Amino acid sequence: MKRIFVILTLIASPLFGADSPRVYVSFEGATPATITPGKPADVELHFKVKEGFHVNSNQPKSELLIPTTLKLEPPTDLATGSIIYPPGKDLSFPFDPSEKLSVYSDDFTVTAKMSAAKAAGTGNFTVHGQLRYQACSDNACFPPKSISVQFDVQVVNQPKRAHGTTPQSPHIK
Amino acid sequence: MKGNAVAIVVVTLVVAVMIFAGVKSSRGPKVSPMIGDAQPISSTDAKGKQAPDFALQDLQGKQVKLSDFRGKAVLLNFWATFCGPCKVEMPWLVELQKQYGPQGLEIVGVALDDSGKETIAKFAKEMGVNYTILQGQDAVGDAYGAVGLPATYYIDRRGKIIDSALGLVSRSEIENNIKKSLTESKSEAETANNRGKAAS
Repeated sequence: MKRIFVILTLIASPLFGADSPRVYVSFEGATPATITPGKPADVELHFKVKEGFHVNSNQPKSELLIPTTLKLEPPTDLATGSIIYPPGKDLSFPFDPSEKLSVYSDDFTVTAKMSAAKAAGTGNFTVHGQLRYQACSDNACFPPKSISVQFDVQVVNQPKRAHGTTPQSPHIK
Repeated sequence: MKGNAVAIVVVTLVVAVMIFAGVKSSRGPKVSPMIGDAQPISSTDAKGKQAPDFALQDLQGKQVKLSDFRGKAVLLNFWATFCGPCKVEMPWLVELQKQYGPQGLEIVGVALDDSGKETIAKFAKEMGVNYTILQGQDAVGDAYGAVGLPATYYIDRRGKIIDSALGLVSRSEIENNIKKSLTESKSEAETANNRGKAAS
């Protein structure tokens, strides 16, 4: 039995190796977010660019360059509003010191505005998405890639106002 | 008995994964641009191997095969419009095509780019490209192990890869490899000629 497993593992492993994706950006998680129905909230998503590489920012300086973009697919009761990308760093690279590119390197954070429908139930909702990027090193570039993004958002009830009670004046003792 | 059941489950799972991997890796159009049965190579150990033949369309829509250039030294350059380092070496390739074209050099640029024929053509025109540009397909890049861009392969007159480079290298390194491919190809051709004469 053990022998069969070893043989099958040996057969299968080159397949994974042959198609193993080269990953230049990793998703490091999202800042825990709590949303009250009707009140949009910011969710910060953190990414890390592999050392020695850079990716174009969301606003590269040429239309030929492929921008970094985030697409989210929230569950039915949630909605995504605007997505705010950080400004790129203007850097030049050894392959062309005369040209500055707008890039992300090291860590960068993308902010997504999210809201919950008024009728949304409370609890944890999982949001899926994809970050598309195109990476380069100091002397080579790599085809565009997408990485999956997944994070949880907690929907809570709006605190109810107490009815029938008059707010007390701070002057009344 | 229990062991056999576990083995069947494991075999079924592995076969399912293998089918999935096969489907996933079969990117690109259904008609493969690859010709013949040349084995895929990797950019790091391409030296000495036969260059896999392929057929791709040029910017005028004409089908061009790598083997059409047999008898010439070919510099096969994978590039893309989004690739900064590729842009740096293009003017060098233009000059080198002018300089070594009369000696039998043919530079062939394969654009691994999703931006479309018009964008590629406009870019090539702006860069003053005077060599053949082909619209690439992933299968061709995969066959050459071109994991990054630029990826350059120096092919002799008989279709054998004499050297390769992944990423931007210096102009002098490109030129040295061109000289090497032209000289080696020439001496091989002369040796073959001499052998032919001696035999007759």
